[in-house]
Amino acid sequence: MIKIEQEAWQLMVEHAQKTYPNECCGAMLGPIDGDTKTVRVALPLENAYPGAQRERYELRPEDLLFAEREARKNGMDLIGIFHSHPDCDAYFSKTDLENSCPWYSFVVLSIQKGQFHHANSWLPNMEQTEAAKEELEYPNA
Amino acid sequence: MPKILIPTPLRQFAEKKDSVEVDGGTVGEVLAALTAAYPDMKKNLFNDEGKLRSFVNVYVNDEDIRFLEKDKTAVAATDTISIVPSIAGGK
Repeated sequence: MIKIEQEAWQLMVEHAQKTYPNECCGAMLGPIDGDTKTVRVALPLENAYPGAQRERYELRPEDLLFAEREARKNGMDLIGIFHSHPDCDAYFSKTDLENSCPWYSFVVLSIQKGQFHHANSWLPNMEQTEAAKEELEYPNA
Repeated sequence: MPKILIPTPLRQFAEKKDSVEVDGGTVGEVLAALTAAYPDMKKNLFNDEGKLRSFVNVYVNDEDIRFLEKDKTAVAATDTISIVPSIAGGK
């Protein structure tokens, strides 16, 4: 399961709401203890998609390299990636799946009319053909 | 020997090490040595055709090998190699 701590969660929601109506993205860092991943730090990153960002996001590999280095520097792990779905549900779309990486958790925040609505976490498989829903715990907004 | 930094989710396939030093003069040779030493790592990095998976980027220090000479990019003993995911999406 994945648990998101208050400070990290607040930053993720703020980033998603501020970026609305475009999609936001970022990295989640923290410790992994057995099957439990705890997100202690959220790193908002720039959506580098060159087209319509209302429907797409793209992370620069160098930003993920930075996130990985930040995690190592602070004795944490890169746990996963978050992004938002403006005015639609927090499902894992075909585009999400085909451009994912099976090593990480993918938290999707649904932002409805500019406000946080709900979130889900997903674990894509190696062939990027399906994603399983992961148990997600986040503080009340 | 060049050092490869292992992303957290792959450490389970490398005796839980966060970095590994292996022999090799190019990125291709270093990755081959890595997957020879830790065979379970292979399916995470390469597809059935033996090509790097679409979500895998490799950096030598701060340089993306796609903009150098890909798997033929030379590596020195002092270089650090990072395995970085490629991630995008949308609703």
